[in-house]
Amino acid sequence: MRLPPFRLVEPESLPEAIDALGRLDGEARLVAGGTALVAMIRLGLVKPDRLVSLHRVPALNEIRVEGGSLSLGAMATHGDIERSRIVRDGWPLLAGSVRRVATPAIRTSGTIGGNLAYAEAASDPAPALLCLDAEVRVVGPSGERVVPVTRFFRGFYEAALEPGEIVGAIRVPPTPTGARGGYTKYTSRSAEDKPLLGVAALVVLDSSGRCADVRLALGGAAPTPIRAEAAERSLRGETLSDAAVRAAAETAAQHADPLSDLMGSADYRREMIRVWVRRLLVSLRDGSR
Amino acid sequence: MSLAFTLNGKPCTTEVPDHWTVLDLLRDGLGLMGTKYGCGEGVCGTCTVLADDRPIRACLVLAAHVRGRALVTVEGLEVDGRLDPLQTAFAERGASQCGYCTPGIMLAAKALLLENSAPTEHEVREALSGNLCRCTGYTKIIEAVLAAAGSR
Repeated sequence: MRLPPFRLVEPESLPEAIDALGRLDGEARLVAGGTALVAMIRLGLVKPDRLVSLHRVPALNEIRVEGGSLSLGAMATHGDIERSRIVRDGWPLLAGSVRRVATPAIRTSGTIGGNLAYAEAASDPAPALLCLDAEVRVVGPSGERVVPVTRFFRGFYEAALEPGEIVGAIRVPPTPTGARGGYTKYTSRSAEDKPLLGVAALVVLDSSGRCADVRLALGGAAPTPIRAEAAERSLRGETLSDAAVRAAAETAAQHADPLSDLMGSADYRREMIRVWVRRLLVSLRDGSR
Repeated sequence: MSLAFTLNGKPCTTEVPDHWTVLDLLRDGLGLMGTKYGCGEGVCGTCTVLADDRPIRACLVLAAHVRGRALVTVEGLEVDGRLDPLQTAFAERGASQCGYCTPGIMLAAKALLLENSAPTEHEVREALSGNLCRCTGYTKIIEAVLAAAGSR
Protein backbone atom coordinates (compact mmCIF):
# COMPACT_ATOMS: atom_id res chain seq x y z
CA MET A 1 0.00 0.00 0.00
CA ARG A 2 2.89 2.38 0.76
CA LEU A 3 5.06 3.73 -2.00
CA PRO A 4 8.68 2.60 -1.92
CA PRO A 5 10.71 5.30 -0.16
CA PHE A 6 12.20 8.21 -2.10
CA ARG A 7 13.54 11.60 -1.15
CA LEU A 8 11.49 14.64 -2.10
CA VAL A 9 13.28 17.80 -3.19
CA GLU A 10 11.25 21.01 -3.35
CA PRO A 11 13.19 23.71 -5.23
CA GLU A 12 11.85 27.26 -5.24
CA SER A 13 12.94 28.30 -8.74
CA LEU A 14 13.35 26.68 -12.16
CA PRO A 15 17.18 26.99 -12.12
CA GLU A 16 17.21 25.22 -8.73
CA ALA A 17 14.92 22.52 -10.14
CA ILE A 18 17.20 22.01 -13.16
CA ASP A 19 20.14 21.78 -10.81
CA ALA A 20 18.35 19.26 -8.57
CA LEU A 21 17.49 17.09 -11.56
CA GLY A 22 21.10 17.10 -12.75
CA ARG A 23 22.73 15.98 -9.49
CA LEU A 24 24.32 12.59 -9.91
CA ASP A 25 23.08 10.82 -6.78
CA GLY A 26 20.70 8.20 -8.12
CA GLU A 27 17.71 8.45 -10.42
CA ALA A 28 15.64 11.62 -10.17
CA ARG A 29 12.17 12.24 -11.58
CA LEU A 30 10.29 15.49 -11.92
CA VAL A 31 6.86 15.51 -10.27
CA ALA A 32 4.04 17.98 -10.98
CA GLY A 33 0.53 16.72 -10.12
CA GLY A 34 1.76 13.15 -9.72
CA THR A 35 -1.33 11.63 -11.34
CA ALA A 36 0.82 9.63 -13.77
CA LEU A 37 4.12 9.37 -11.89
CA VAL A 38 2.79 8.26 -8.49
CA ALA A 39 0.67 5.56 -10.16
CA MET A 40 3.76 4.40 -12.08
CA ILE A 41 5.83 4.29 -8.90
CA ARG A 42 3.12 2.28 -7.16
CA LEU A 43 3.01 -0.15 -10.08
CA GLY A 44 6.80 -0.52 -9.93
CA LEU A 45 7.27 0.83 -13.46
CA VAL A 46 9.76 3.45 -12.25
CA LYS A 47 11.87 3.39 -9.09
CA PRO A 48 13.27 6.88 -8.54
CA ASP A 49 15.56 7.68 -5.61
CA ARG A 50 14.52 11.31 -5.67
CA LEU A 51 11.49 13.27 -6.80
CA VAL A 52 11.97 16.90 -7.72
CA SER A 53 8.66 18.69 -7.10
CA LEU A 54 7.67 21.84 -8.98
CA HIS A 55 5.02 22.89 -6.45
CA ARG A 56 7.13 25.52 -4.74
CA VAL A 57 8.29 27.25 -7.91
CA PRO A 58 6.26 30.49 -7.90
CA ALA A 59 3.92 31.56 -10.70
CA LEU A 60 4.38 28.35 -12.66
CA ASN A 61 0.60 27.86 -12.79
CA GLU A 62 -0.24 31.24 -14.31
CA ILE A 63 -2.75 31.47 -17.13
CA ARG A 64 -2.49 34.76 -19.01
CA VAL A 65 -2.59 36.45 -22.39
CA GLU A 66 0.69 37.77 -23.80
CA GLY A 67 0.60 39.71 -27.08
CA GLY A 68 -2.63 37.97 -28.10
CA SER A 69 -1.31 34.48 -27.36
CA LEU A 70 -2.31 32.34 -24.44
CA SER A 71 0.46 31.49 -22.01
CA LEU A 72 -0.15 28.49 -19.79
CA GLY A 73 2.33 27.87 -17.02
CA ALA A 74 3.34 24.21 -16.97
CA MET A 75 1.81 23.75 -13.50
CA ALA A 76 -1.63 25.03 -14.54
CA THR A 77 -3.95 22.13 -13.77
CA HIS A 78 -6.62 20.83 -16.09
CA GLY A 79 -9.13 22.04 -13.50
CA ASP A 80 -7.65 25.57 -13.59
CA ILE A 81 -7.70 25.63 -17.39
CA GLU A 82 -11.24 24.29 -17.80
CA ARG A 83 -12.52 26.98 -15.39
CA SER A 84 -10.43 29.85 -16.80
CA ARG A 85 -12.60 32.57 -18.35
CA ILE A 86 -9.65 33.55 -20.57
CA VAL A 87 -9.31 30.05 -22.00
CA ARG A 88 -13.05 29.41 -22.33
CA ASP A 89 -13.61 32.67 -24.20
CA GLY A 90 -10.51 32.75 -26.40
CA TRP A 91 -9.51 29.10 -26.81
CA PRO A 92 -12.75 27.10 -26.46
CA LEU A 93 -11.27 24.11 -28.32
CA LEU A 94 -8.58 23.81 -25.66
CA ALA A 95 -11.01 24.34 -22.76
CA GLY A 96 -13.29 21.67 -24.24
CA SER A 97 -10.47 19.14 -24.55
CA VAL A 98 -9.11 19.74 -21.06
CA ARG A 99 -12.60 19.27 -19.63
CA ARG A 100 -12.54 15.74 -21.02
CA VAL A 101 -9.36 14.64 -19.24
CA ALA A 102 -10.02 11.61 -17.01
CA THR A 103 -12.27 12.54 -14.07
CA PRO A 104 -12.76 15.66 -11.89
CA ALA A 105 -10.31 14.61 -9.16
CA ILE A 106 -7.57 13.83 -11.68
CA ARG A 107 -8.14 17.24 -13.30
CA THR A 108 -7.67 18.94 -9.91
CA SER A 109 -4.09 17.67 -9.69
CA GLY A 110 -2.96 16.83 -13.24
CA THR A 111 -1.11 19.64 -15.01
CA ILE A 112 -0.84 20.65 -18.66
CA GLY A 113 2.96 20.50 -18.53
CA GLY A 114 2.89 17.05 -16.99
CA ASN A 115 0.37 15.86 -19.55
CA LEU A 116 2.63 16.90 -22.44
CA ALA A 117 5.87 15.65 -20.85
CA TYR A 118 4.25 12.24 -20.22
CA ALA A 119 3.70 12.07 -24.02
CA GLU A 120 0.70 9.77 -23.75
CA ALA A 121 -0.51 8.83 -27.25
CA ALA A 122 -4.11 9.24 -26.11
CA SER A 123 -3.66 12.61 -24.37
CA ASP A 124 -6.85 14.70 -24.51
CA PRO A 125 -5.28 18.20 -24.66
CA ALA A 126 -2.57 17.22 -27.18
CA PRO A 127 -4.80 17.03 -30.28
CA ALA A 128 -6.33 20.42 -29.43
CA LEU A 129 -2.88 21.97 -28.92
CA LEU A 130 -1.72 20.40 -32.21
CA CYS A 131 -4.68 22.03 -34.02
CA LEU A 132 -3.93 25.37 -32.36
CA ASP A 133 -0.23 25.31 -33.43
CA ALA A 134 0.90 25.62 -29.82
CA GLU A 135 4.55 25.77 -28.77
CA VAL A 136 6.26 24.35 -25.71
CA ARG A 137 8.79 26.50 -23.86
CA VAL A 138 11.46 24.17 -22.51
CA VAL A 139 14.06 25.24 -19.97
CA GLY A 140 17.17 23.27 -19.19
CA PRO A 141 20.83 23.30 -18.24
CA SER A 142 21.79 25.03 -21.51
CA GLY A 143 19.03 27.66 -21.40
CA GLU A 144 15.65 27.96 -23.00
CA ARG A 145 14.24 26.71 -26.30
CA VAL A 146 10.87 26.65 -27.97
CA VAL A 147 9.54 23.43 -29.51
CA PRO A 148 6.38 23.40 -31.67
CA VAL A 149 3.92 20.84 -30.29
CA THR A 150 4.05 19.18 -33.73
CA ARG A 151 7.68 18.25 -32.97
CA PHE A 152 7.35 17.72 -29.22
CA PHE A 153 6.22 14.07 -29.32
CA ARG A 154 9.18 11.97 -30.37
CA GLY A 155 7.85 8.47 -29.82
CA PHE A 156 5.76 6.19 -27.62
CA TYR A 157 5.70 7.95 -24.21
CA GLU A 158 8.74 9.94 -25.35
CA ALA A 159 8.76 13.74 -25.37
CA ALA A 160 11.46 15.87 -27.01
CA LEU A 161 13.04 16.62 -23.64
CA GLU A 162 16.74 16.15 -22.97
CA PRO A 163 17.99 15.07 -19.53
CA GLY A 164 17.51 17.91 -17.06
CA GLU A 165 14.99 19.76 -19.21
CA ILE A 166 11.65 20.95 -17.85
CA VAL A 167 8.48 22.14 -19.58
CA GLY A 168 8.12 25.75 -18.38
CA ALA A 169 5.09 26.97 -20.30
CA ILE A 170 2.88 26.40 -23.31
CA ARG A 171 2.17 29.23 -25.75
CA VAL A 172 -1.00 29.02 -27.80
CA PRO A 173 -1.45 31.49 -30.69
CA PRO A 174 -4.85 33.17 -31.03
CA THR A 175 -7.70 30.99 -32.29
CA PRO A 176 -8.23 31.95 -35.98
CA THR A 177 -11.10 34.41 -36.45
CA GLY A 178 -14.37 32.70 -37.26
CA ALA A 179 -13.01 29.25 -36.43
CA ARG A 180 -15.31 26.42 -35.42
CA GLY A 181 -13.56 23.87 -33.28
CA GLY A 182 -14.33 20.76 -31.31
CA TYR A 183 -12.81 17.83 -29.49
CA THR A 184 -14.51 14.48 -29.25
CA LYS A 185 -13.28 11.33 -27.61
CA TYR A 186 -14.36 7.76 -27.76
CA THR A 187 -13.81 5.73 -24.62
CA SER A 188 -14.49 2.06 -25.26
CA ARG A 189 -14.66 0.87 -21.65
CA SER A 190 -15.56 3.35 -18.93
CA ALA A 191 -15.47 7.09 -18.26
CA GLU A 192 -12.28 7.18 -16.19
CA ASP A 193 -10.30 5.34 -18.84
CA LYS A 194 -8.07 7.05 -21.37
CA PRO A 195 -9.69 7.40 -24.77
CA LEU A 196 -9.40 4.73 -27.43
CA LEU A 197 -9.44 7.68 -29.81
CA GLY A 198 -9.53 11.47 -29.47
CA VAL A 199 -10.24 13.79 -32.40
CA ALA A 200 -9.76 17.56 -32.45
CA ALA A 201 -10.66 19.75 -35.42
CA LEU A 202 -10.67 23.43 -36.23
CA VAL A 203 -12.19 24.77 -39.44
CA VAL A 204 -12.68 28.23 -40.90
CA LEU A 205 -15.34 28.26 -43.60
CA ASP A 206 -15.46 31.09 -46.16
CA SER A 207 -18.71 32.72 -47.31
CA SER A 208 -19.35 29.90 -49.78
CA GLY A 209 -18.82 27.23 -47.13
CA ARG A 210 -15.37 26.18 -48.35
CA CYS A 211 -12.57 25.36 -45.92
CA ALA A 212 -10.25 28.39 -45.83
CA ASP A 213 -8.40 26.74 -42.96
CA VAL A 214 -8.75 23.20 -41.69
CA ARG A 215 -6.81 21.42 -38.97
CA LEU A 216 -7.33 17.92 -37.72
CA ALA A 217 -5.44 16.04 -35.01
CA LEU A 218 -5.79 12.62 -33.43
CA GLY A 219 -4.92 11.05 -30.09
CA GLY A 220 -4.64 7.27 -29.72
CA ALA A 221 -4.23 6.87 -33.49
CA ALA A 222 -0.45 6.39 -33.54
CA PRO A 223 2.39 5.97 -31.02
CA THR A 224 2.11 9.75 -30.41
CA PRO A 225 -0.62 12.34 -30.87
CA ILE A 226 -0.57 13.39 -34.55
CA ARG A 227 -1.84 16.01 -37.02
CA ALA A 228 -3.79 14.32 -39.82
CA GLU A 229 -2.10 16.36 -42.53
CA ALA A 230 -3.14 14.34 -45.59
CA ALA A 231 -6.78 14.56 -44.50
CA GLU A 232 -6.41 18.32 -43.95
CA ARG A 233 -5.00 18.74 -47.48
CA SER A 234 -7.89 16.83 -48.96
CA LEU A 235 -10.35 19.30 -47.44
CA ARG A 236 -8.58 22.60 -48.09
CA GLY A 237 -10.69 24.74 -50.43
CA GLU A 238 -13.50 22.16 -50.38
CA THR A 239 -16.91 22.32 -48.81
CA LEU A 240 -17.60 19.90 -45.96
CA SER A 241 -19.95 17.81 -48.09
CA ASP A 242 -20.83 14.33 -46.86
CA ALA A 243 -18.60 12.88 -49.60
CA ALA A 244 -15.62 15.16 -48.81
CA VAL A 245 -15.90 14.46 -45.11
CA ARG A 246 -16.13 10.73 -45.68
CA ALA A 247 -13.07 10.83 -47.94
CA ALA A 248 -11.09 12.88 -45.40
CA ALA A 249 -11.99 10.44 -42.62
CA GLU A 250 -10.84 7.57 -44.85
CA THR A 251 -7.56 9.39 -45.56
CA ALA A 252 -7.04 10.01 -41.84
CA ALA A 253 -7.62 6.31 -41.14
CA GLN A 254 -5.22 5.24 -43.93
CA HIS A 255 -2.45 7.52 -42.73
CA ALA A 256 -2.82 6.69 -39.03
CA ASP A 257 -0.55 4.17 -37.35
CA PRO A 258 -2.69 2.84 -34.53
CA LEU A 259 -1.57 0.42 -31.85
CA SER A 260 -3.39 -2.63 -30.59
CA ASP A 261 -3.95 -2.73 -26.84
CA LEU A 262 -6.49 -3.77 -24.21
CA MET A 263 -8.93 -1.11 -25.41
CA GLY A 264 -9.01 -2.19 -29.02
CA SER A 265 -7.10 -3.58 -31.97
CA ALA A 266 -5.36 -1.45 -34.59
CA ASP A 267 -8.06 -2.37 -37.11
CA TYR A 268 -10.81 -1.33 -34.72
CA ARG A 269 -9.04 1.96 -34.03
CA ARG A 270 -8.78 2.62 -37.78
CA GLU A 271 -12.50 1.99 -38.11
CA MET A 272 -13.20 4.33 -35.20
CA ILE A 273 -11.09 7.04 -36.89
CA ARG A 274 -13.42 6.76 -39.91
CA VAL A 275 -16.46 7.11 -37.67
CA TRP A 276 -15.38 9.85 -35.26
CA VAL A 277 -13.55 12.10 -37.73
CA ARG A 278 -16.68 12.07 -39.91
CA ARG A 279 -19.01 12.77 -36.98
CA LEU A 280 -16.88 15.63 -35.67
CA LEU A 281 -16.51 17.36 -39.05
CA VAL A 282 -20.24 17.00 -39.79
CA SER A 283 -21.11 18.50 -36.40
CA LEU A 284 -18.80 21.46 -37.05
CA ARG A 285 -20.34 21.95 -40.51
CA ASP A 286 -23.88 21.82 -39.16
CA GLY A 287 -23.11 23.93 -36.13
CA SER A 288 -24.48 21.19 -33.88
CA ARG A 289 -21.61 21.30 -31.42
CA MET B 1 9.41 16.71 6.70
CA SER B 2 7.17 19.09 8.61
CA LEU B 3 3.78 19.84 7.13
CA ALA B 4 1.15 22.44 8.06
CA PHE B 5 -2.31 22.49 6.53
CA THR B 6 -5.95 22.78 7.52
CA LEU B 7 -7.83 19.58 8.28
CA ASN B 8 -11.62 19.65 8.54
CA GLY B 9 -11.53 23.32 9.48
CA LYS B 10 -8.74 23.11 12.06
CA PRO B 11 -5.04 23.89 11.68
CA CYS B 12 -2.84 20.80 11.69
CA THR B 13 0.94 20.47 11.84
CA THR B 14 2.62 17.10 11.59
CA GLU B 15 5.76 15.27 10.48
CA VAL B 16 5.55 13.00 7.42
CA PRO B 17 8.07 10.88 5.51
CA ASP B 18 8.86 12.24 2.02
CA HIS B 19 7.22 9.35 0.21
CA TRP B 20 3.87 9.46 1.98
CA THR B 21 0.72 10.26 0.05
CA VAL B 22 -2.23 12.18 1.48
CA LEU B 23 -3.90 8.82 2.12
CA ASP B 24 -0.93 7.62 4.23
CA LEU B 25 -1.01 10.94 6.07
CA LEU B 26 -4.72 10.68 6.88
CA ARG B 27 -4.98 7.00 7.79
CA ASP B 28 -1.59 6.19 9.26
CA GLY B 29 -0.37 9.58 10.39
CA LEU B 30 -3.61 10.97 11.79
CA GLY B 31 -5.75 7.88 12.36
CA LEU B 32 -8.63 9.07 10.21
CA MET B 33 -9.93 5.81 8.77
CA GLY B 34 -12.92 7.20 6.88
CA THR B 35 -10.89 7.65 3.70
CA LYS B 36 -10.43 4.27 2.02
CA TYR B 37 -7.68 2.67 -0.03
CA GLY B 38 -9.07 1.18 -3.23
CA CYS B 39 -6.97 0.75 -6.34
CA GLY B 40 -4.01 2.94 -5.40
CA GLU B 41 -3.80 4.20 -8.99
CA GLY B 42 -6.33 7.03 -9.02
CA VAL B 43 -8.96 5.08 -10.90
CA CYS B 44 -11.61 3.93 -8.42
CA GLY B 45 -12.19 7.17 -6.48
CA THR B 46 -12.78 5.67 -3.05
CA CYS B 47 -9.92 7.75 -1.55
CA THR B 48 -11.40 11.06 -2.81
CA VAL B 49 -11.07 13.98 -0.36
CA LEU B 50 -11.34 17.75 -0.87
CA ALA B 51 -8.36 20.12 -1.15
CA ASP B 52 -9.46 23.75 -1.28
CA ASP B 53 -12.98 22.58 -2.19
CA ARG B 54 -11.82 20.51 -5.16
CA PRO B 55 -11.77 16.69 -5.23
CA ILE B 56 -8.37 14.99 -5.18
CA ARG B 57 -7.18 11.40 -5.13
CA ALA B 58 -5.55 10.91 -1.73
CA CYS B 59 -3.69 7.85 -3.07
CA LEU B 60 -1.90 9.84 -5.79
CA VAL B 61 -1.24 13.24 -4.23
CA LEU B 62 1.97 13.47 -2.23
CA ALA B 63 1.43 14.68 1.33
CA ALA B 64 3.92 17.52 0.70
CA HIS B 65 1.64 18.86 -2.02
CA VAL B 66 -1.20 19.73 0.38
CA ARG B 67 1.03 22.02 2.42
CA GLY B 68 -1.00 25.13 3.26
CA ARG B 69 -4.17 23.79 1.70
CA ALA B 70 -7.54 23.05 3.32
CA LEU B 71 -8.41 19.35 3.39
CA VAL B 72 -11.87 17.99 4.07
CA THR B 73 -12.41 14.28 4.69
CA VAL B 74 -15.63 12.39 5.36
CA GLU B 75 -15.04 12.99 9.09
CA GLY B 76 -15.35 16.73 8.40
CA LEU B 77 -18.74 16.64 6.67
CA GLU B 78 -20.59 16.62 9.98
CA VAL B 79 -20.38 20.06 11.59
CA ASP B 80 -21.32 20.73 15.25
CA GLY B 81 -23.14 17.41 15.50
CA ARG B 82 -25.22 18.13 12.41
CA LEU B 83 -24.91 15.83 9.43
CA ASP B 84 -24.26 17.35 6.03
CA PRO B 85 -27.39 17.27 3.82
CA LEU B 86 -25.54 14.74 1.66
CA GLN B 87 -25.09 12.39 4.60
CA THR B 88 -28.76 12.70 5.54
CA ALA B 89 -29.85 12.09 1.95
CA PHE B 90 -27.57 9.04 1.60
CA ALA B 91 -28.87 7.59 4.87
CA GLU B 92 -32.54 8.24 4.12
CA ARG B 93 -32.36 6.68 0.68
CA GLY B 94 -30.05 3.79 1.51
CA ALA B 95 -27.62 5.14 -1.08
CA SER B 96 -24.85 2.83 -0.02
CA GLN B 97 -24.59 -0.90 -0.09
CA CYS B 98 -21.31 -2.23 1.27
CA GLY B 99 -20.34 1.38 1.95
CA TYR B 100 -16.71 1.20 0.89
CA CYS B 101 -17.06 3.74 -1.95
CA THR B 102 -19.42 6.00 0.00
CA PRO B 103 -16.94 8.44 1.63
CA GLY B 104 -15.28 9.13 -1.72
CA ILE B 105 -18.61 9.52 -3.46
CA MET B 106 -19.93 11.93 -0.84
CA LEU B 107 -16.83 14.12 -1.16
CA ALA B 108 -16.96 14.10 -4.96
CA ALA B 109 -20.62 15.13 -4.63
CA LYS B 110 -19.71 17.77 -2.02
CA ALA B 111 -17.21 19.33 -4.45
CA LEU B 112 -19.92 19.47 -7.11
CA LEU B 113 -22.48 21.10 -4.79
CA LEU B 114 -19.95 23.68 -3.57
CA GLU B 115 -19.46 24.79 -7.17
CA ASN B 116 -22.97 24.19 -8.51
CA SER B 117 -25.79 24.23 -5.96
CA ALA B 118 -28.45 23.07 -8.42
CA PRO B 119 -26.89 20.45 -10.69
CA THR B 120 -28.76 18.48 -13.32
CA GLU B 121 -28.73 14.70 -13.21
CA HIS B 122 -26.20 14.75 -16.05
CA GLU B 123 -23.92 17.04 -14.06
CA VAL B 124 -24.17 14.73 -11.04
CA ARG B 125 -23.25 11.74 -13.21
CA GLU B 126 -20.31 13.64 -14.67
CA ALA B 127 -19.08 14.72 -11.22
CA LEU B 128 -19.25 11.11 -9.99
CA SER B 129 -17.73 9.64 -13.16
CA GLY B 130 -14.50 8.94 -11.31
CA ASN B 131 -16.12 7.04 -8.44
CA LEU B 132 -16.77 3.36 -8.88
CA CYS B 133 -19.32 1.42 -6.85
CA ARG B 134 -18.76 -2.28 -7.38
CA CYS B 135 -22.07 -3.09 -5.74
CA THR B 136 -23.24 -1.09 -8.81
CA GLY B 137 -26.04 0.73 -7.04
CA TYR B 138 -25.69 4.09 -8.75
CA THR B 139 -29.39 4.98 -9.02
CA LYS B 140 -29.93 5.73 -5.33
CA ILE B 141 -26.58 7.51 -5.10
CA ILE B 142 -27.58 9.92 -7.86
CA GLU B 143 -31.04 10.39 -6.35
CA ALA B 144 -29.45 11.16 -2.98
CA VAL B 145 -27.12 13.82 -4.42
CA LEU B 146 -30.02 15.48 -6.26
CA ALA B 147 -32.10 15.36 -3.06
CA ALA B 148 -29.28 16.91 -1.04
CA ALA B 149 -28.99 19.71 -3.60
CA GLY B 150 -32.74 20.30 -3.40
CA SER B 151 -32.75 20.38 0.40
CA ARG B 152 -30.43 23.36 0.62
